[in-house]
Amino acid sequence: MTRTIAKLLLAGTAFAALTAGALAADTPKRIGYVVNYGTHEWYQNVIKGMKAHAAEIGATVEVKDANLDVAKEVSAAEDFIAQGVDVLIITPVNEEGVVPLLKRAKAANMPVVLEGNPVKGMTTMVAICDYDTGYMAGVEAGKYAKDHLGGVAKVMNVGLPLLSATVLRSNGFMDGIRTIIPDAKLVHDLDGGGNPDRALEVSTAALAQNPDINIIYGINDSSSLGGLQAWKAAGKSQDNLLVVGTGGEGLAFINAMEKEPSYKIEAAMFPEKEGYTTIDAAIALYQKKEVPEHIVSPTAPMMGDDWKKFYDVAGTTRTPKWDAINALTPPAKCMKTAADLKK
Amino acid sequence: MPADLAVAEAPALALEMTGISKRFPGVVALNDVHLRLEPGKVHALMGENGAGKSTLIKILAGVYEKDSGTIRIGGREIEILHPSDALKRGIKVVFQEIALIAEFTVAENIFLEEYPVGRGGSIRWRTIRKEARALFERIGFDVDTDARTGALPVSQQQMVEIARALAHEARIVVMDEPSSSLTPNEVGLLFKVIRRLTSLGIAVLYVSHKLDEVFEIADTVTVLRDGRHISTRPIAEHTNDTLIQDMIGRRIETLFPRERGPASDRIALSVKNLSTAAKLKDISFEARAGEVVGFFGLMGAGRTELAKAIVGFDPISGGEISIGGKRLHPHDTRTAVSLGIGLLSEDRKGEGLMLELPVVTNLSLAALEEFARLGLIDESRERAAAQSFVDRFRIRTPSLEQPIKNLSGGNQQKVLLARWLMRGLSVIVVDEPTRGIDVGAKSEIFALIDRLASEGHAVVMMTSEMPELLGLSDRILVMAGGRITESFTREQATQEKVLNAAIG
Amino acid sequence: MVSEVSHPAGPGNAIGRLANNSQIVLIAVLVILCVGVSLAEPQFYSGANVIAILRQAALVMIVGAGMTMLLITAEVDLSVGASLAFVGVVAMDVINITNSVAIGSLAGIAFGGLVGLVNGFVVTRLKVNSLIATIGTMMILQGSVFLYSREAVQNHHHLAAFVDIGAGYVGPLPIPVIVAALFFAVAYVLLRHTTLGRYLYAIGANQKAARLSGIRAERLKLFAFVVTGLLVGVAGLVLVSLMNAGQPTAGRGFELTVVAAVILGGTSLAGGRGTLLGTLLGVLVLKVIDNAIILLQWNQDLQMIVPGVVLILATYLDLAKRRANAR
Repeated sequence: MTRTIAKLLLAGTAFAALTAGALAADTPKRIGYVVNYGTHEWYQNVIKGMKAHAAEIGATVEVKDANLDVAKEVSAAEDFIAQGVDVLIITPVNEEGVVPLLKRAKAANMPVVLEGNPVKGMTTMVAICDYDTGYMAGVEAGKYAKDHLGGVAKVMNVGLPLLSATVLRSNGFMDGIRTIIPDAKLVHDLDGGGNPDRALEVSTAALAQNPDINIIYGINDSSSLGGLQAWKAAGKSQDNLLVVGTGGEGLAFINAMEKEPSYKIEAAMFPEKEGYTTIDAAIALYQKKEVPEHIVSPTAPMMGDDWKKFYDVAGTTRTPKWDAINALTPPAKCMKTAADLKK
Repeated sequence: MPADLAVAEAPALALEMTGISKRFPGVVALNDVHLRLEPGKVHALMGENGAGKSTLIKILAGVYEKDSGTIRIGGREIEILHPSDALKRGIKVVFQEIALIAEFTVAENIFLEEYPVGRGGSIRWRTIRKEARALFERIGFDVDTDARTGALPVSQQQMVEIARALAHEARIVVMDEPSSSLTPNEVGLLFKVIRRLTSLGIAVLYVSHKLDEVFEIADTVTVLRDGRHISTRPIAEHTNDTLIQDMIGRRIETLFPRERGPASDRIALSVKNLSTAAKLKDISFEARAGEVVGFFGLMGAGRTELAKAIVGFDPISGGEISIGGKRLHPHDTRTAVSLGIGLLSEDRKGEGLMLELPVVTNLSLAALEEFARLGLIDESRERAAAQSFVDRFRIRTPSLEQPIKNLSGGNQQKVLLARWLMRGLSVIVVDEPTRGIDVGAKSEIFALIDRLASEGHAVVMMTSEMPELLGLSDRILVMAGGRITESFTREQATQEKVLNAAIG
Repeated sequence: MVSEVSHPAGPGNAIGRLANNSQIVLIAVLVILCVGVSLAEPQFYSGANVIAILRQAALVMIVGAGMTMLLITAEVDLSVGASLAFVGVVAMDVINITNSVAIGSLAGIAFGGLVGLVNGFVVTRLKVNSLIATIGTMMILQGSVFLYSREAVQNHHHLAAFVDIGAGYVGPLPIPVIVAALFFAVAYVLLRHTTLGRYLYAIGANQKAARLSGIRAERLKLFAFVVTGLLVGVAGLVLVSLMNAGQPTAGRGFELTVVAAVILGGTSLAGGRGTLLGTLLGVLVLKVIDNAIILLQWNQDLQMIVPGVVLILATYLDLAKRRANAR
């Protein structure tokens, strides 16, 4: 009797082990990520999100930083291929330089997920929708203006015409605001360079030329804060002013939401979720599932205290609240993309 | 007539000036001067500044009137009372300052006073241009006759002047220091043109102080000194030395004045076992107040290294330097200057002059503290001091504000020397004091060095010029391979002994 | 024969007089610019706009005073932009920690001075060319500021004195303008009328000659670097106050603006020449152009293009004029 039980137990364990092994074989174990510019705040958070999700499925994410050097990026990716990682994730430094790499990866049967920017010949890409980000924030801004600014919307856009991503954000914002307030005016369309002192300088000049605005939009937090500082330096009060930032990459916007009375809306892009979503895509590819060419990572406008739903802040670290973030549903595809700008 | 006047045979002289005298208030510019120019020959006129060359030329040009004497052209006596007289007589003077109208074209300038006019008085430009081109062909030099004269380089403007001479059918062309603003290439072209002129039978009077040019282009040389005629000889009979001697009037040895008395016993500078990492090995010597110690050596012997080491400019690896009994420690120039020793570098441009800055600023550089209270400079005192040095040393400059790069080499050197004197030193080190300086200024520098010694300075002089070394030094130290090989007193030294010691 | 150069009779430092011509041209350019833009866009001479221009100009001028001195000695410091940002980060952090604007300011200025000291040491002791050395410092600072603080350092206390540094006024004048004017005055007197200033010119004109005359060239260059660094500290305080946060990404391109303004003002990279007044005019011309482009709502890319063209033109004209004078 005991011998049969022992044999059964042995068989059962073996069987369980086999099944477990089989199940385990369904998710990737080693993921290689080549990031284009790892020191940037945004990507630091993307990586955090990636590692968090990878830990959940028992995988490791190894990161190599191309530091904006295409050659470095290609050789890092080739290293990963040679090391035999299960899935390769790449944020391309530029589109053309990565095309041959994709071909090589395909030949080596290596699944590749693109992050942030598309490349010809890719299987799938995970990215946020810049236009939608701006649009949704614009809609909320319109509502706010209706309720609190007497239905008048005069916008100073502290933008960055250099990149299509930031142009889409600005365009989206104006289109969104116009769904609520059709005659919203774009009073100043500025190039703040995306950095705080330049944004401050150009906003100061613009405000001196014409101070009659009541909404400041920034394509990133540095830009919106620069615009706000210019407003304050001109001695104007923040009543009847709405400041909208974009990105939500760090603590800056939280600080601003808390301390500045006019900073009410943040078009958050949830970089950690971007990382999370990328791992999802990696898993799907690994399991040879069908995936859309563009997987959208969700963004959402955060109003006032909303941010507490999504983030915990302790000292100088913030931790994402995954339940809330994962509950966000992204659109199937973006309303507008960079291709639309060229028309 | 002086016996050494070469007697020219054959055709009538193009120009003969006899017994020319000219006096200005307070100075006799010319005293009984003779000059004879033969057609088709180049006659050089040489002399120091103030010898009377330019006065003589200006008399020829009709700018000045002679007090006495006669001028004959082609045997006939003439008077030149006015520049237009000179031109009419066929005398054309090309001054250093080009006397053309910058705004006019070349053709217009050539025919400036005598435009060919047609019927109704209008100027016939086509004729002018045609004739101008023809003239340039005769010279053998190509200039764009329609060009604005002011836009041409100086060398071409000179050609325009020469063409003007031909247009007026000059028989005598005087060139006053023509090469001062020319490149060596341009000088070569100028000489070609001059030979062309002589081939046309024109007499050329070439005024210059540059010996090598005179040797190249001239047939005969007349030397003036202090307003007097000194000599006229075919150039073949001259050597560098004889020419200089005629111009300066002293034998080479007496080029070096000896105003000072014997040196004192006080040791101003003491160098013991000085060595540097690169070159110098165990150098020891002393210099007394009132003494000139001359260092000689071939290239690479280490003189400049020694000069720079003893004033704290370059680091040393061993040895002791004392100025007036006080050790040079820490070994830097600030300490050195405060102890009273300074260097006048051989490389004026690279280590002495602040070229873009004015004379006054260059002069006061080492003495600035004296004109400053609480760090603020009293510019009027600075200027006054600078002016007094300019006067005392006869530094020739249009003003104190003149950028020093515009001064001649000799005057620049005087400024650098004065810089130290304004500061006040007890030991002055000079490295190649007369390099790149013309003969006349050289003697001024020698006089200055002598004066420095007589006023109690100790002078340490590095030089590669034997006459300078032998003429100025009280003691001579010879270097080779970074060491001192021999020392001589003034009386003991000869050229052969020194050279032998230098070869080591 | 010595060529004659005519000078207007009168007293005054000959160095200053040599620079006068280019300053007159700059003043004329500035006047034409201001008048022209005012006609096109009357808001140009509104109080708010003039103050905006002056404030931005003050930021550049504070550092420009030091940079002028440096260029006169034939050295340069390209790390000022990176240092500007780091100063802001440090100052903000210290203010947060100590709740004292005074201590934070001291920390910021000291940091700037320290950077200047390091630059000066590398150039004068290690004998590294200053262009290369300060680019190296710039890169080190740009990288390490992120080690100090990944993000912008937020203002935790909102002390009134802190806001005043950048945005405050004394009467009608913004405080940064007063600070800039003060440093201008001091530096002006120093350069024009003191032995120290004269030595700086001498070092730039011919360093070896200066050394032979007993001037401690390396020591004085070090001084110029440290002064520049301290001034960057002050400017960094102004900027961090204006931005209300210590931004590690601030100051990009700032060093180019400062150097361009100094050169535009007639100071030569080769050393030995230059005036503070020229730098001031250069700063004003550049900032007026910057401002005008926004006011006239021109393409902002011109804000880089126009100063670049102006700089090349100005340097060329200056060279041509000097060549003509030398004939």
